Amino acid sequence: MTRRAFALFLLVGAWLALTLAACQKAQGPNIEISDAWGRPSPKVATAGAFYMKIRNTGSEDDALIGGESPACGTVELHESFKTPEGAMGMRPVEGGKIVIPAGETVELKMGGLHIMCIDKKVDFKPGTTVQLTLHFEKSGDIPVELEIRQPMK
Amino acid sequence: MSSTAKRGLWMGVGALLLVVLGWWGWQRFRPYAFHGTVLQSAEPAPDFTLMSADGPVSLSDFRGKIVLLYFGYTFCPDVCPTTLFEVQRTMELLGEDADEVQLIMISVDPLRDTPERLKEYVQYFHPSFIGVTGSDEEIAQVATQYGIYYQKHEGTPATGYLVDHTATITVIDREGYVKLIFPYGTPAEDMAADLEYLIKH
Repeated sequence: MTRRAFALFLLVGAWLALTLAACQKAQGPNIEISDAWGRPSPKVATAGAFYMKIRNTGSEDDALIGGESPACGTVELHESFKTPEGAMGMRPVEGGKIVIPAGETVELKMGGLHIMCIDKKVDFKPGTTVQLTLHFEKSGDIPVELEIRQPMK
Repeated sequence: MSSTAKRGLWMGVGALLLVVLGWWGWQRFRPYAFHGTVLQSAEPAPDFTLMSADGPVSLSDFRGKIVLLYFGYTFCPDVCPTTLFEVQRTMELLGEDADEVQLIMISVDPLRDTPERLKEYVQYFHPSFIGVTGSDEEIAQVATQYGIYYQKHEGTPATGYLVDHTATITVIDREGYVKLIFPYGTPAEDMAADLEYLIKH
């Protein structure tokens, strides 16, 4: 085989290998986080809530199982709900995880699912950002930058 | 066109005019429909005296103003800030009339909520907001008088205990009678409209 043919052969081979590798990566969950925010609050409010949209564009379910932030002593997953007495309550999410089914978006929002920032260490000032690392069952650690702002109305 | 047709046309126009007039009259003169739940209490709202960071606060201190009572606690990360933010927006919508409205937050967590903590928390939302607390007995008494349910329950080791609580806002009119209840989630626009009506009438 001529040198040129051989070079072409290598090139095509490499391209094929890369494409196959990319195809492999498309299997499984694919998490996208958008509109991540937290409400402004003073240091005296020792618990804060983070909200966001979590979208799974992949082909497998995944689940949010926890998180970490330098701004919080502990990060937990909670949800607000209405009790049988008509009162509002809050509880840790069942099973300790929020499932993000394949092809769906789960919204963490006021009055519902939220990420709780316990033992908040700082003022949350409007216009600043908070670093948060989310732990997913399959997708592993995903870093998120949260915007501290008032709720959109 | 024929005379019958012409007559028919005029009758049609007349009928239309009547409908339009009737609709306008109905809009203009119908009684105001509140967004909140209206209560007709025969008795004045029970007075109470609880502790704020600036000294004792009694409901009767605010006779002549419209008082919004909210039961919550500072450790609550989602429901309470959400509600207080809606009231903050309501105050903004009221403009100058906001001076006629007083929000008092009563803590359902007197163990952790000190008067100073409450003050810092509520004033973060609006400088006029007042936060009060008291002994377990005092809080229980006021909550019962206002039909507010609250219950401590276990959280996680990190959160400590949590308190389920009725998250409504009780509206007391200028004469000191409970007039309205705003359920949790009532938007600021609805609250402002109702309060505007109470201020003007």
